[in-house]
Amino acid sequence: MTREPVIQLEQVRKSYGEGAGTTQVLRGVSLEVPRGELIALVGQSGSGKSTLLNIVGGLDKADGGNVRVLGHDYRSTSEPELARLRNKKIGFVFQAFNLLDHLTCLGNVTLPASFAAGARDVVRRGQAALGRVGLGDFAHRKPSELSGGQKQRVAIARALFNEPELLLCDEPTGNLDSATGHEVIEFFRELNEKDGVTLMIVTHERRMSTIARRVITMRDGQIVEGDQAGDEDTGGPA
Amino acid sequence: MPARNLWQMVLGNAVRSPRHFVFSAIGVVIGIGAFVFFLAGVLKVQGVLYSIFPLEEVEVIAPHTSIAGKNLSQKLTQETVDLIKTRPEVREALPRMTLQFPAVGFGKFEGQDIRFEVGGFTDGIPHSVVADDPKIADRFLDGDAEGKIGPACEPERGKDACPDRAWQYCDKVDRMCHMRVPVIVSPTVLELYNTQVAESHGLPHIGAMEQFIAERGRERMHFTIGLGDTMVAGSNVAVSAKHREVGAILIGISRKAKRVGLTVPLGYVERWNREFAGEDKAKQFSSIIVTLRDKDRLATFTTWLQEEPKLKLEDSLGEQFGTVVFVITIVLLAISFVIVGISAINIAHNFFMQVTERRREIGVLRAVGASQRDVLMIVLGEAAVIGLVSGVLGSAAAFLGSLLVDWASAALVPAFPFKPRSWFDFEWWIFALAVGFSVLFCVVGGWLPARKAAQMEPAAALAQT
Repeated sequence: MTREPVIQLEQVRKSYGEGAGTTQVLRGVSLEVPRGELIALVGQSGSGKSTLLNIVGGLDKADGGNVRVLGHDYRSTSEPELARLRNKKIGFVFQAFNLLDHLTCLGNVTLPASFAAGARDVVRRGQAALGRVGLGDFAHRKPSELSGGQKQRVAIARALFNEPELLLCDEPTGNLDSATGHEVIEFFRELNEKDGVTLMIVTHERRMSTIARRVITMRDGQIVEGDQAGDEDTGGPA
Repeated sequence: MPARNLWQMVLGNAVRSPRHFVFSAIGVVIGIGAFVFFLAGVLKVQGVLYSIFPLEEVEVIAPHTSIAGKNLSQKLTQETVDLIKTRPEVREALPRMTLQFPAVGFGKFEGQDIRFEVGGFTDGIPHSVVADDPKIADRFLDGDAEGKIGPACEPERGKDACPDRAWQYCDKVDRMCHMRVPVIVSPTVLELYNTQVAESHGLPHIGAMEQFIAERGRERMHFTIGLGDTMVAGSNVAVSAKHREVGAILIGISRKAKRVGLTVPLGYVERWNREFAGEDKAKQFSSIIVTLRDKDRLATFTTWLQEEPKLKLEDSLGEQFGTVVFVITIVLLAISFVIVGISAINIAHNFFMQVTERRREIGVLRAVGASQRDVLMIVLGEAAVIGLVSGVLGSAAAFLGSLLVDWASAALVPAFPFKPRSWFDFEWWIFALAVGFSVLFCVVGGWLPARKAAQMEPAAALAQT
């Protein structure tokens, strides 16, 4: 069964700084991720994993090469279109949770609805998303009242609020203890297997490799192990 | 981003950071407060000034020339009026004629016998001068010229001599009922009466003239003018030998009236001057009131006036005061704007700090779907809310300040002519302007920080620790 690629990267390059202080972070990365894939992106710090994730999510811009995500060629996608794509089809989970402290858990989860015209059943959907991560009773609590694991679950609920097709996770277990990290990993596996959500996870967590269908290793801005674009289909849920 | 969501987010952000809100708003509150306070104040001062000096009109007079005590001044006649009317910058030219012989006003007022000099203090003006004032226009008529004379009467019967006790009097010479001579006075006369005469003579204050007349009755406004009589000892003996009385009635207050004195329909003064001072005096105007089409054309008119008919304008204190008030207004408003302008810079500074502090938050918003425009609108919305609240608070502060000033004025400042009950004229548009300016300045102040926030790369913003 052939699946439409959710992510297509061709010779993506990215550097920071200017002149002699230029640091090349991505040196021609090519990658293709089919729908329903769960990819673990591993490598040492500074290898370019997070930058690659940000470029895929439209949070950062590539200096060169082609980026095509969910059918959108980023070279011809306007900034508002990119914002809508992030709002409707891409979810983000960060290592530092990135919850807004002045909002309740429900407020954080339903935040994407603020930027969507005609959003309906916002509260009900927010409650459902919280229930899905086991925090249905925490809707009116502030993030400061939660443990790290609970915060990350609220962040996951926010990422899932609009039922995204692609979930991008940057070290999602990095700030969690082992047991909680395991719960999160299990949740991602379930999300991938049952709901068919495509996940790209930047991680140092070895256990993540056990649930990932593909493990891609990066070094010095290049993919050195795992898959390059055009590798064979690794299978997965339809 | 839907407007409702934007509004909710902006309000939530404003409420959650009261320190930032107060620091940003305080300067604007002070600036807008000063703006409203000054503007309402000068508006009132202008209003009072215009009630004393009608600035929209100029008065043409003949320069005074005399040799060996003989008055050789140029005469203002109907020809002069017609000449002035030919000027393109002139909308209207109306003559004013002063009573040119001695006369005395007398009568009973609030139980007291009152006498006052009228000769030289009485002007005649055409009806068209007061035609735009409905309270006066209907009564400011020359009854004798219109033939409203009769029936015959017996002066000995006093007030009952004529059928219309309020508006007629019985003339002692022709023993016929005549319409009383309608008299108007200026607000200055009323003010002088209230602040100087009423106080010292134990007479009642007059607020609104119409109300006073309604309460006391028309007949209380009656008085007699003794033509050819005078209170000045040693006056023109030849004239004083000729003497008669006419009934008069005070009908109201008008800015068009002689500033200090009485004003009656022009026909009366013409006839009385002819009767008591000769034909020449009956054709000679004391001044010509000129209404210009545009105030800016005053200079052209004045130049022509001096070069052609060799006339001049009466020195207008009003114009000089008006200029002073205008300059003061500009200075005070400039001060207000400087304060608000500095506040806008303060807001810009505060918002730059805020945007830097909230980088991660902005990054999160971008990650969950906020566009650059959304972020721009959120920051500008917060600035606008600060402007809105500051505008309202500043206006309220100015209003409270005005109450304080008015209270102090009432309690501490002694009465003087034209002393207003309130020193402020709070028109609705002042508040609208204040809030509008406040929002505008705050939005301008927030513009650069908002742009900076909007242009932040989300990944870089999220990387903030």
